[in-house]
Amino acid sequence: MDKYEKLEKVGEGTYGKVYKAKDKASGQLVALKKTRLEMDEEGVPPTALREVSLLQMLSQSLYVVRLLCVEHVDTNKNGGSKANLYLVFEYLDTDLKKFIDSHRKGPNPRPLPPSLIQSFLFQLCKGVAHCHSHGVLHRDLKPQNLLLDKEKGILKIADLGLGRAFTVPLKSYTHEIVTLWYRAPEVLLGSTHYSTAVDMWSVGCIFAEMVRRQALFPGDSEFQQLLHIFRLLGTPTEKQWPGVTALRDWHVYPQWEPQSLARVVPSLSSDGVDLLSKMLKYDPAERISAKAAMDHPYFDSLDKSQF
Amino acid sequence: MMEFDLENPLTNFNDFCPGTTIPSPFLVESHHMPTGNYVNTLKARELDISVRRRAISLISQLSYKFSPFLSYLAVNYLDRFLSIQGIPQPKTWVLRLLAISCVSLAAKMKKTEFSLAHFQGDGGFIFDAQTIERMEYLILGALKWRMRSITPFSFISFFISFFKPKDPPLRQALKARAVEIIFKSQADVKLLEFKPSIITASALLSASHELFPLQFPCFRKAISSCSYVNKENMLECYDLMQDIAKEGYESIFNMVSISNTPVNVLDQHFSSSESETTHGIVTTATTIALRTEGDIKRRKVNDYRKNQTVHLSQVQHC
Repeated sequence: MDKYEKLEKVGEGTYGKVYKAKDKASGQLVALKKTRLEMDEEGVPPTALREVSLLQMLSQSLYVVRLLCVEHVDTNKNGGSKANLYLVFEYLDTDLKKFIDSHRKGPNPRPLPPSLIQSFLFQLCKGVAHCHSHGVLHRDLKPQNLLLDKEKGILKIADLGLGRAFTVPLKSYTHEIVTLWYRAPEVLLGSTHYSTAVDMWSVGCIFAEMVRRQALFPGDSEFQQLLHIFRLLGTPTEKQWPGVTALRDWHVYPQWEPQSLARVVPSLSSDGVDLLSKMLKYDPAERISAKAAMDHPYFDSLDKSQF
Repeated sequence: MMEFDLENPLTNFNDFCPGTTIPSPFLVESHHMPTGNYVNTLKARELDISVRRRAISLISQLSYKFSPFLSYLAVNYLDRFLSIQGIPQPKTWVLRLLAISCVSLAAKMKKTEFSLAHFQGDGGFIFDAQTIERMEYLILGALKWRMRSITPFSFISFFISFFKPKDPPLRQALKARAVEIIFKSQADVKLLEFKPSIITASALLSASHELFPLQFPCFRKAISSCSYVNKENMLECYDLMQDIAKEGYESIFNMVSISNTPVNVLDQHFSSSESETTHGIVTTATTIALRTEGDIKRRKVNDYRKNQTVHLSQVQHC
């Protein structure tokens, strides 16, 4: 790891610390993600091997943050040995959360330009479609995980889920609160068989947040999170979402009627509201896929050839 | 996390409308081939070819009880690694360590149950898990962790769709024969320079020529007009492959005889009807092989490049 000069800790990803660093030889800025490897009697741990090579393959998409290389570091201290894998990613200096924040507060609060929202959402759908076509769910899409190249106007998905390869605590690595705001209702209700639709729910929440410059469902507990969702979209019924009342964490909830979605995203065009409503369908089977979303009329005015 | 399936390396052809976007396996296949000068280096030096053969033969011995796809993947790793690191000293322990590590990586990618302990012993060398692990990381680094190789198997269903008859049994037969030809072709240095998609197209054409000669002209025309295929390239590959499909048993048995692997080890790759016909060829092939090996031995002393010796010694201290 002597090749890199660690500059600062920029975050605590779900799987370990993330550092901003500089490649000493080229001067290129990189993000170093340090992950502790399980010790294995059989050489390279198989799960790490499969997952990192999958990440390597996914990162060939322009809309997924690029994995530049992987460094394996073995340290022997006091007889015990520790193995770390450093994933070296391209470094981008901003993310969608910071970007939205800069439009909400600070010296010059202003809405995000509609054409930029449209472009970011399209790129997000494209990246998500790419992951899904490779059988990979992200599971934790949120504005912090969407990195931006402001100059080129490019959005890239980061922090793709590495599953069991690394010693992952159930919650976050530290005591940071894992955000629930983008979590799909089926996950909140304890469904064990969830699918690509969980990511599309998150995409919908992110879409609305770009328009509103504030979170759509800012819950602070799983229960509150559900109530936020039910208050806007109405308490789900068996008719709308077959099987919902049989989910593990289903309780009896207050009965709310669905509110107008357009009212919470007043500046969004009707095509945009229609797409958003399809992303926020209760029944995961009915929720629009990333690929279908890319063909939605909301994107008709976008020059797709640039992507 | 799912196991890696060579026929479906997670790159979805169906996601792309023909004509608008090039399906991604075609875009990235060259990342999964040996680089640059490898083929020329091998062709120029008999010794290098024999090193590669010995390594391939070790891989076959180590992996015959698993699927032939696993073997194929391990040899893909081997070729890509050698093309980057250079041909190592032809020391048995080096080749053995390299072969074990390639097989181990391939087995892990394919989620195959195995234990490194199975690989020990019979070759007379015992490597501890740490040594193998270091070699594995050396290979991973050289291959940039691109272990989900795009191989010819990734393109089979794509090219089979150009075959007119839709009957599943016919297509199954065509596919089965093409798969055999692809397995056979891997050992042949002449075919190393062709892209995986070209290998697939040629293997399917060879299979069609053998099994469905009437459909062949039409099939060839359809594949040749596919815009992702370089026609000249494919026809060149097809010509070479015709020889391998017919006489290809030779090169495989060549390789086998050098390491004294029992012939039946490789029979696993062939259907039973074929191994019957191959037994006749075995004797001749072995004689040819022994002669070649004699030639190699004579040249060994003068012919070895000293500057290549460093590469694998890195294993010990990286």
